[in-house]
Amino acid sequence: MKILVTCKRVPDTDQKIRVKEDGSGIDDSNLAYVLNPFDAIAVEEALRIREEDDTDDEIQIVVVGVGVTDYEAELRTALAMGADRAILVENMTLMDPWTVANTIAAVVERELPDLVLMGKQAVDDDANQTGQFLAALLQWPQATFASKIEFGGLGLQVARETDQGIEEIEVPLPAVVTADLRLNEPRYASLPSILKARKKEIEIIPHTDLQIDVAAQLEVLSMKSEISQRSCIMLEDVNSLMEIISP
Amino acid sequence: MKTSFDVIVIGAGVAGLSTAMQLAKRGQSVVVLEREQLGNGSTGRAAGLLGQLRGTAESTRMLMDGVEIVLDLEKQADVEIYVQTGSLRIAETPERAQEIADLVTMGNSIGFDIEHLTQTEVAAKLPYMKTDDLLDACYCSTDGHLQPAELVSAYIKVGRKHGVQYHTNCAVTNVIITGGKATGVETEAGQFHAPVIVNTAGPWSYLVAGMTDTVLPTAAICHHYLTTRPDDSIKVDRFSPAVRNRHLRLYTRPESDGLIVGMYGEEATEYDMESLPRDFDMSAMKARLDDILVATLVYNANQRFPWITERTAMTMTTGIMTFTPDGKPFCGKLPDIEGLFYGAGFCGHGIVQSPTIGVIMADLILEGETQYDIAAIEADRYFDMPELQTRADIKAAAYQMHAGYYGNIEGSKQ
Repeated sequence: MKILVTCKRVPDTDQKIRVKEDGSGIDDSNLAYVLNPFDAIAVEEALRIREEDDTDDEIQIVVVGVGVTDYEAELRTALAMGADRAILVENMTLMDPWTVANTIAAVVERELPDLVLMGKQAVDDDANQTGQFLAALLQWPQATFASKIEFGGLGLQVARETDQGIEEIEVPLPAVVTADLRLNEPRYASLPSILKARKKEIEIIPHTDLQIDVAAQLEVLSMKSEISQRSCIMLEDVNSLMEIISP
Repeated sequence: MKTSFDVIVIGAGVAGLSTAMQLAKRGQSVVVLEREQLGNGSTGRAAGLLGQLRGTAESTRMLMDGVEIVLDLEKQADVEIYVQTGSLRIAETPERAQEIADLVTMGNSIGFDIEHLTQTEVAAKLPYMKTDDLLDACYCSTDGHLQPAELVSAYIKVGRKHGVQYHTNCAVTNVIITGGKATGVETEAGQFHAPVIVNTAGPWSYLVAGMTDTVLPTAAICHHYLTTRPDDSIKVDRFSPAVRNRHLRLYTRPESDGLIVGMYGEEATEYDMESLPRDFDMSAMKARLDDILVATLVYNANQRFPWITERTAMTMTTGIMTFTPDGKPFCGKLPDIEGLFYGAGFCGHGIVQSPTIGVIMADLILEGETQYDIAAIEADRYFDMPELQTRADIKAAAYQMHAGYYGNIEGSKQ
């Protein structure tokens, strides 16, 4: 069995993110990048599937990133966590979810995985589209916002976190599954695993080799920082608080 | 807004908050200026282990007196700060066993409650710890930890009662010097004036010193500890003793039914505080999932607590400590500028040193002297020392200190 996991390099959103003054994008000076936290959850889930598997079937975990050369650092994170192989589709231009989904679809056609695991969204643009696009392009079933994945039934039994509650569905394989926050907690890579990962190869595929002829559907016009309208005042006593909350 | 005070304290970590509280108790009008939130920075990331028997008899006396101050604070602020779990040192090599034997001898000579424990006794106290390789262990029943958040709230509560003013999100941008004396500071919210200014800016202390072209040999070093989530199969009692395992470079204590395990490794990540964003928030720091120092921590933790693996549910806490070339803080003033005082460089022990340091700082500021023997921590001990003038030299010295912190065998010169 082969599991393909997508890995996006994103700014660490626990930092304060600044927008460039001209609104053309975010200020990337001094910006620290991490593996998209939802993708880390997807990697962790693949590792757990492999660790908990009690069949003789060998489970191979391949991680894929689409972007600039610097992506290698985050693919290396996934390798250190325990993925077997990494593929970087190198592309220096800005991409939108549609072009990324088309790119990953091309990788899927080369790799022929049984399961694609992805983060439900990346924390930089919060688009939440690539998984759905990919399933449509491949004409595979999809299970989005997964908070539990088990093998069984038609193939996979997935609990989905929806606004109405937990929805339980079954999908046959191959399928696209996107990970929600509560699916698991990603591990810190172990020392032996980090050392082993240093020797693992990252296969680099130039984007042009995939011969994808699709145009981005999305254009970013401008960005701006949200300005907080909240103001804070110190009150002298409980009575002044009462005046505010019970007019 | 009142802008003139007797004392301006820069930095609202435990060192600044304790100093401000002690000064206000002695009738001074004090303002604390904090770049971020009160108790953030290293204080907000600390584990707060209290091991009273360390180094010299005088440093032990300071820590023991600190406990008395904390017990009084608990009453005044109605919070639990001191958790008396007791503490263990364990040894799995002959060198470390000798270290323990020396420590017990030293402790007994000053009447400190410390005793050897057998392997069986250790196993009974810490059923979740591997003990079959231990050669010796010792136990101090009066050790434990101080809960950092509760200590911070007590300092503020009592400080406020005595009139201390606290300004948050108010970074000091310059120190005003008039006629060779410090007379105030500039901040993003305007100027403040006082004849005494105290630099308790933790990892930022050397940058604040730099505002007056003063060299303060402190360096910022990253530190990690893990906290395991409560696990029904591993009972970690709230009063399980803290453990120091110097051979594996680990310390541990109970926390919310889980276990804190931290490490002073041989290697560490250094920070240049000047290159961090101006609004850098230490509480948002987190380690990469493939950080090799975190992996080393988990690896070593697993040697002592085999149930801790990379699969264990845990929270990783990452913060910055302020190290000095000799592992001791800088307290007091320097010869260059009148009115400027320092209380920084606590090398990962700021929480537990802070109660007495506040008293010492207040003594030095108001009386010019203190009943404690502060030779080892006096701020001017490296002043003008040629080999500690550049950032590169200071960082190298502090880094080396950090590397040997648990690595060196105590009592031997390494």
